[in-house]
Amino acid sequence: MDLTPTLPIPISYVSGRYLLFSIDAVTYLRREHNICGVLIGTLPQIPQQNVFLGLPLELTPEEARLLVDKGVACIVDEAKAQLGMKSLLEEDCRRYLHDLEAQGLGVMRVQSDRKEQQREQTLKKIEAKKAKAKASKASAAAAPADAATTTSTSTTASHKDTPSAVVDLFAADERNTLSPNSRTSSSRTTASQPTMGITPATSYPPLSHPVSSSSSAPLLPAPTVPESYALFAHLHSRGYFLSPGLRFGCQYVAYPGDPLRFHSHFLVVSAEWDQEIDLMDVIIGGRLGTGVKKGFLLGGSEKSIDEVETEAERVDSVRTFSIEWAGM
Amino acid sequence: MADADEDAIRAPSNNPAQIETDLSDETQDFRLLSHLNFLSDPSSGSLPRRGEKDFEPNPTEFQADVLSASRQAMHNALAYPRIHNPKNQIVGIYAPEGPTPPPQVIGESLKTVDEQQKSTESAPPAQSKPESIKPDGKGVGVSPETCVYVPTPKGQYFKTMGQADRWNRVWLLPEEALYLLERGSLDIRWPSSLIGSDSNSESGVSTDEPSIPMSLQAAYACFIGRAGLTLERFSVYTGLRRLGYMLIRAPGWHDSIEQSETAPATSGTQKTATQPPSAQRGPGLAGIFGRVFQWIHDPMSTASTTAGPVAGLGIHRNYADVYRKLALIPWYDPVTAPEPHLDDTTPPFRIVFHVYKPSTTFKKTAPPPPDFRIAVLSTRDQTSFPTLSQLGALLESTPLDPPRGDKMDRLLYMRLRHGYRHVILAVVDQGVVSYLRVADSAFGKEKLYEAKNGPSGTKRNRFSHGSKRR
Repeated sequence: MDLTPTLPIPISYVSGRYLLFSIDAVTYLRREHNICGVLIGTLPQIPQQNVFLGLPLELTPEEARLLVDKGVACIVDEAKAQLGMKSLLEEDCRRYLHDLEAQGLGVMRVQSDRKEQQREQTLKKIEAKKAKAKASKASAAAAPADAATTTSTSTTASHKDTPSAVVDLFAADERNTLSPNSRTSSSRTTASQPTMGITPATSYPPLSHPVSSSSSAPLLPAPTVPESYALFAHLHSRGYFLSPGLRFGCQYVAYPGDPLRFHSHFLVVSAEWDQEIDLMDVIIGGRLGTGVKKGFLLGGSEKSIDEVETEAERVDSVRTFSIEWAGM
Repeated sequence: MADADEDAIRAPSNNPAQIETDLSDETQDFRLLSHLNFLSDPSSGSLPRRGEKDFEPNPTEFQADVLSASRQAMHNALAYPRIHNPKNQIVGIYAPEGPTPPPQVIGESLKTVDEQQKSTESAPPAQSKPESIKPDGKGVGVSPETCVYVPTPKGQYFKTMGQADRWNRVWLLPEEALYLLERGSLDIRWPSSLIGSDSNSESGVSTDEPSIPMSLQAAYACFIGRAGLTLERFSVYTGLRRLGYMLIRAPGWHDSIEQSETAPATSGTQKTATQPPSAQRGPGLAGIFGRVFQWIHDPMSTASTTAGPVAGLGIHRNYADVYRKLALIPWYDPVTAPEPHLDDTTPPFRIVFHVYKPSTTFKKTAPPPPDFRIAVLSTRDQTSFPTLSQLGALLESTPLDPPRGDKMDRLLYMRLRHGYRHVILAVVDQGVVSYLRVADSAFGKEKLYEAKNGPSGTKRNRFSHGSKRR
């Protein structure tokens, strides 16, 4: 898990938004740089829910800018990068397909192993059931006429159990990966093995990494950010994890640690240095924050985005205030 | 009041009996996902409960371990590959130029083109739209915005998605293709024309199927931004699809649109509620008596307001008449609103999706009237709350849907909340989607003084409840 991907990490610029597709980059940025982003993709293993989402990860312009300024990432125009498919060499293609096939074969093997295991388990269960039935038959041997009928019914029952149980398991298995309606009842066969098709998450390979191949990398300048970036950078430099907060009635939600494990502490709203703030807004924010057990954090920078010379200066020119409804 | 607030604050944070929470509101601990055990035991079903979180980091090793376990679980969950079982693999092919006939047909027929232009020709006249490619899609008979075709369509998804052409291929719109690819249900291949290495790509008649699968990354790069599909729209599309809704593009999808969907035109003449008494009596003694009597008794007349009391002189038989006379202020009646024009709406405030509940029987060739209409806003492009004219135009572009049904008739609050026109705003803040429902309620139509016993107890309670929550 503690992999470090090749730096700088390419952030895909797609239609005005900043996306990450590499799982290694996502975990690395989360672990080392406190950047969480928002997962917006469907998890292929459980696609019909919105609680757990998957790749890609959408970064805010602020997050992307911060990473670019730190030199950890760079912005790649993804649409242009994909044109590189045209200049792929045939042998690269073949190698790539070969790799995919090998991966597919691996997945296939894992899955069939699992199915095998499960089948063994269910068979064992059935065996146990049969043994029980036999025992009961033996005990009921005193009335042979009755016993004959009961055994026949019980065995048919258990026979009925067998295929349906197995099919269920297989069907459930397939539901995770593929369309449920195409479940085949004859899924017992794993002998003739065409490989699993795989849709890779990233385009590198087959494309060469846009940073290492310095030649044709369509790198873009750092993202433009709103005035609230100074406050964002300030809080981030203090170790806070920030995520977009409109849903909670603010600009950012600030977490003291990884949001995976910690509740957020602040509703963050940025203001400009000389901006007049409506007292009502302060009250509203204070009440809202207190109502959800968070502080209402109001902050701003003395210098605008382009006035500062260093990142340290930007971070230091910010003042923040936390407002809480005391309810006396 | 203060007490209640304090109680709310002091209440233990892990109180299980708290108000129902939306799990997707917050970042969930991915370790819970592994309780689902789809890897080792795919048969287990339901989603996990909300996890326990800590207040703040402390330097204990225990906490570090838990965090790293959470991250590992997240990593594993996200690293899970999209795999296609060869038995039910669905292969789609990317067609960057839009719909085209199959290669073997191109050569022989350019003559059949004319007869099958119907659907493509009716497409809106594209005014200057630099970002969206508009291939003509001649001779295929599907929307020119589709860009992926599935040669051998099978499976449930094509019941609600895609359009079939004459060669029994199903063409998918970019959002449909991307959604299917993302959930691991479709394997999209690069066309040989985009792959340099394929030597016989020049002829375009290579018999081999294109074989290089498109990655998720490539699919986003190719499909987002195509034919008006923004990432925000896709987030809404895929988020609702995941929950089981069905979505199709609405006429407002493109910034340039022609008039197509309109509500039944209601003859909009009178705007106020006070209807002039129409019965004109004829001349004669009866008429004079009648007029005098009417002057004394006319409940609608407010003629005397300048001179006397607002309620007027005369005989008041009941309170309702008095109230009716007091109703001086004209009010807006959504039923008689002017005929809607889609042109009046301004681009972000336009309906881009028609949404159907999973229970609605949906036929993709003849979609029924939608259950919901959604406009998609991006917080980075639209930073202020919509103005009244923007919202009004948006609402007027939806058909009239007055509150109907037994329940609506009984409950005043439900009626007001349902409104006469309604639309859903999906506000996308960097991938986080919030849905707001905006309805045009007609308070003027609900005459409380005409209700038999006034608003009943329960309704009053609900009212105060509603206002408190604001």
